Amino acid sequence: MSTALETPVRAAGPTHRPRPWAAVFALARFEARELRMNMSFLALAVLYMIWIVWQTTQRQSDFPILQNVDRGTQMMPVLIGLAVMLNVNRAVLRSRRRDTDRHFDVLVVEPWRRTIAHVLSAVPAALFIAVCVTVQFTWAALKPGAVGHGSPAELAVGPLTVLLFGVLGALFGRLFLSILAAPILLVLLLFAMTFAAPPSGNNWVSWLYPVVSETGSDAFPSDLLERPAAWHVLYLVGLALLVALLAVLASGGRSTVVKATVAASLALTLVGAVGQSGGTPAGSTPARERASVTPEKIRKCVEHGRSSYCAFPEWTGRTADWAAVVDRVQKLAGGRAGGERLTVEQRLDARYGLESDTLLPPSTEPGRVTVRTEWGGNRVPEFAVAVASVLVAGDEKAGTEVCDARVVTIMWLALGGEADPMSALSNVRVGDGVSGPALVLSPTEPFSMSAEQTRIVAELLKKPRYDVAGKVKAKWTELTSPETSMARVAELLNVSAEGASDGDACDE
Amino acid sequence: MRRVTAMTRALLPPVWRSLPRRALAAAAAVGLLLAAVPRLQSGPPDPLVGLYSLRAAALVLALGLAFLLDDPARHITSAVPVRRPVRVALRVALVAPWAALTWTTALLLVPESSRPPAGALTLEAAATAVLALAAAALSIRRTRTTEPGAAISTWLLATGVTAALLLPPDWTLFVTPDDPHWHSTHDRWTLLLIVAAALAARSVTEPLRGRPFRRPSPEPL
Repeated sequence: MSTALETPVRAAGPTHRPRPWAAVFALARFEARELRMNMSFLALAVLYMIWIVWQTTQRQSDFPILQNVDRGTQMMPVLIGLAVMLNVNRAVLRSRRRDTDRHFDVLVVEPWRRTIAHVLSAVPAALFIAVCVTVQFTWAALKPGAVGHGSPAELAVGPLTVLLFGVLGALFGRLFLSILAAPILLVLLLFAMTFAAPPSGNNWVSWLYPVVSETGSDAFPSDLLERPAAWHVLYLVGLALLVALLAVLASGGRSTVVKATVAASLALTLVGAVGQSGGTPAGSTPARERASVTPEKIRKCVEHGRSSYCAFPEWTGRTADWAAVVDRVQKLAGGRAGGERLTVEQRLDARYGLESDTLLPPSTEPGRVTVRTEWGGNRVPEFAVAVASVLVAGDEKAGTEVCDARVVTIMWLALGGEADPMSALSNVRVGDGVSGPALVLSPTEPFSMSAEQTRIVAELLKKPRYDVAGKVKAKWTELTSPETSMARVAELLNVSAEGASDGDACDE
Repeated sequence: MRRVTAMTRALLPPVWRSLPRRALAAAAAVGLLLAAVPRLQSGPPDPLVGLYSLRAAALVLALGLAFLLDDPARHITSAVPVRRPVRVALRVALVAPWAALTWTTALLLVPESSRPPAGALTLEAAATAVLALAAAALSIRRTRTTEPGAAISTWLLATGVTAALLLPPDWTLFVTPDDPHWHSTHDRWTLLLIVAAALAARSVTEPLRGRPFRRPSPEPL
């Protein structure tokens, strides 16, 4: 009797549907963790967070202008992007370096899916930057001195840059099998970013780079910036998608869907690139012309106490800070100046573009004081100097031309009420010294201060305020007269006049 | 002494074969390409382009040198009777003439009119290169990795860009020749070179006592 051996019939095929994407996400999660735990990334991330805290707690940034703060968040993520790019690149090439490609070939996850996983592993890093950028901006926006409006498009550039760099790392890994290729290409890229295009943002080539941060001396009202920020975001999104899909193509994912998406993302990139190709206007535009030449049509005037303060609409919240400085200076003045009605006018010259360093001509009308768009830090004593020179000389033009003994009165009025007058004195002087001759900065034109004047002012600032204030008020007419000599001023204010030559800055 | 010389001579061919020659050649080629940028440019000579193209060339050469100590067979060669300093010195000695030649060519490629002071730039390049080598040597001494080049090149680039972006003005390393701080900055470069050289010298020696290593390979497959 023979027995037929029957093998039991097994159900062929998998018992559940294949889920190739689950493996992709698992790999992406793993690679993201590898990136997160990498020493270079960690160190740069810590450095970046320290930089944010340091940047935001600086004294200069007590009065942030939000349309500049948003652009200020863009440059530092490039640093993180660099680490992300090199690490993603290393991760892509790891299986080749360790000679494990053969093992992966037997898996169900195709190489192009692995590429997608590597691309996705850069997303958490981009999200981390997004959180950091949001914190940096919100922190600035919550400060009591914040003015202006931020733009979400400008804020998106930092995270998108990191994503773009990460994706580029994956593409380089698929195109070049050497581990040295990515660092070298990165150096070439950074070199090209610095030199191939003119540094200004009014050129279409410079807008092809991820970060175009244009900074000048003056902050503009947000409606005068005219940066193609939204187009640039579209361009960056399109470019990141395009590079990611090219990496997928390069690793063998040649399906119709991929090809169609490549075409779509290329179209998106081109639309963004064409949209931003105008760049930031370099010179004047009608809106900039209006704000520079006839600002009184745009400004809003607010009364604080005796004086009136005219600011661009976004700055009206800052008039109270200006008023505090004006009151402080005026309280020390005597005669009619102590009760004079001043008009503080905010001015800027936007006709030469965002990156220009413009000098405003001093106002010739009596009682007008110029204030610029920046505030906080050194700008406060500089404004105080302008207020004091108008109180002493009558108008700003005359104030910047003063070189006789009245400089002493101007400087004491401006700085006498400061909490730390000596450091304020060094801050308003070019060269940061408190002895010798120097130029004194003001919102408009600087004026010069002789060595003798500096010595007397420094001596006065070291004396108790009430002591000097009484003398200044009592002898106001004589102190503010152009005829009074330096020796006489020193005598009136009870300071030793040791300077043999009665040198004032007019002689120099 | 004779034994060491004989062994060194015997080591020469295998060390030459195990040099990462392709990486070094690629770095040299790109470095020379970068140094040739000012010559390729039309228009009036721009000293700034000359300066930065030479700095970029120096960085690329240093990136190549970061791979110099890569030795996949490191765990096997650690058993040979010649100590590690000799083996590393042999590698450096085999590459140094080529590096010097490449750097001289790079300097000569930049037209005279836009060439920054050659001595100072050579100091910067040497400091960068020695820093890369020191980092690679330190990484070999402290970890069990056989090919530290990739990690060191990332680290070198990140450090370079961080230094350019974040160093406070009083400590900056990257100035232009017309800057009044040019000389004091190069004192700092000299200091950097000395520190890096000392670190490299300290790190090439084989640790006397075997330290308990952490996990054998922190990097997955």
